[in-house]
Amino acid sequence: MLGAIALLLSCQLAGEIIHRVAGVPLPAPVIGMLLLIGWLALYRKERPGLEAVSAWLAAHLAIMFVPSAVGLIDQGEILKQYGAGLLVAVTVSTFLTMIVTVLVFRWAMRFVKDEKHGGSGA
Amino acid sequence: MSQLLTTWIFWLAVTLVVFEGIDTVSRRFGRHPLLNPVLWSTPLLIAILLATHTDYKTYYDATMLLTFMFGPAVVGLAVPIWDRRAIIRRLAVPIVVALLAGAVTAFVSVVGLMWLFGAPPELLASVAPRATTTPVAMELTAMLGGIPALAAVATLFSGLLGAMSGRPLFNFMKIDDYQARGFAVGITSHGIGAARAFQTSVSAGTFASLGMALNAIATSILLSALSLLF
Repeated sequence: MLGAIALLLSCQLAGEIIHRVAGVPLPAPVIGMLLLIGWLALYRKERPGLEAVSAWLAAHLAIMFVPSAVGLIDQGEILKQYGAGLLVAVTVSTFLTMIVTVLVFRWAMRFVKDEKHGGSGA
Repeated sequence: MSQLLTTWIFWLAVTLVVFEGIDTVSRRFGRHPLLNPVLWSTPLLIAILLATHTDYKTYYDATMLLTFMFGPAVVGLAVPIWDRRAIIRRLAVPIVVALLAGAVTAFVSVVGLMWLFGAPPELLASVAPRATTTPVAMELTAMLGGIPALAAVATLFSGLLGAMSGRPLFNFMKIDDYQARGFAVGITSHGIGAARAFQTSVSAGTFASLGMALNAIATSILLSALSLLF
């Protein structure tokens, strides 16, 4: 358990170093995520501790952003001015994203099937 | 008594109690999307802050522990991606192509519309990453010079809307491929959409969580690249 936490924090720290020192403009935790994928690929073995800790964190993501969402308390002015626009823009964008993604995914599935029929093997 | 209101333990405990209370109600009603715990604990906590005349800075500092947990939680998304490497390899083409199409549509459409509404740059930076999972959206927003609280709310709204409307929308479009459906919901509605997709089918849920994790990476890379250009 402690090993898993150490691994997650080390990846995040490495991400922070790459973000700040090397100037890679990705959020440090996202760099850390990519590093952890690389680590898992390099050192393949069962990691029940890591599975448990990352699943626990993912299951409790919601409460982690409550303190930030409460920050709306200071955003009355901008919400009064752009709240309605925000609602419309996010609604339209959400539907558009779902429609585009599902249609493109289905369209691109043809290439997977074609490959099989073409007999290129496994 | 009033000194208690400046201690971190008070606000941390209040936040957990409020959240757990609403979460319990949500569970009892079969996790109805409208009973999302963040949706209700946020205004409730704002009301408590207003009633006790506590400024946001005090509250934010007191609950830092929760915010700090973002980072390792995002890093941990590597685990489900790694676990699904076999299916990612097999369906690499549709996954990558749909991921790029969805990620680009997500921020271009929302930023474009907000820009038409005359919104200032800090607001555009707050909504651009709204399709990614909330911690990533907030990190990206902070990096781009936006307002993390607005990012959190736009992301939450996008999640709730996608989770509620995905099923009727795809039925209407007559799309019965649950991998495609799940992936689209995950790209748009991150964790909230994925939780809902798992209630439909394991396949939809798996692809939704995959879409969420991959979109965290794709949107980060795309927005970072764009921010370098401007």
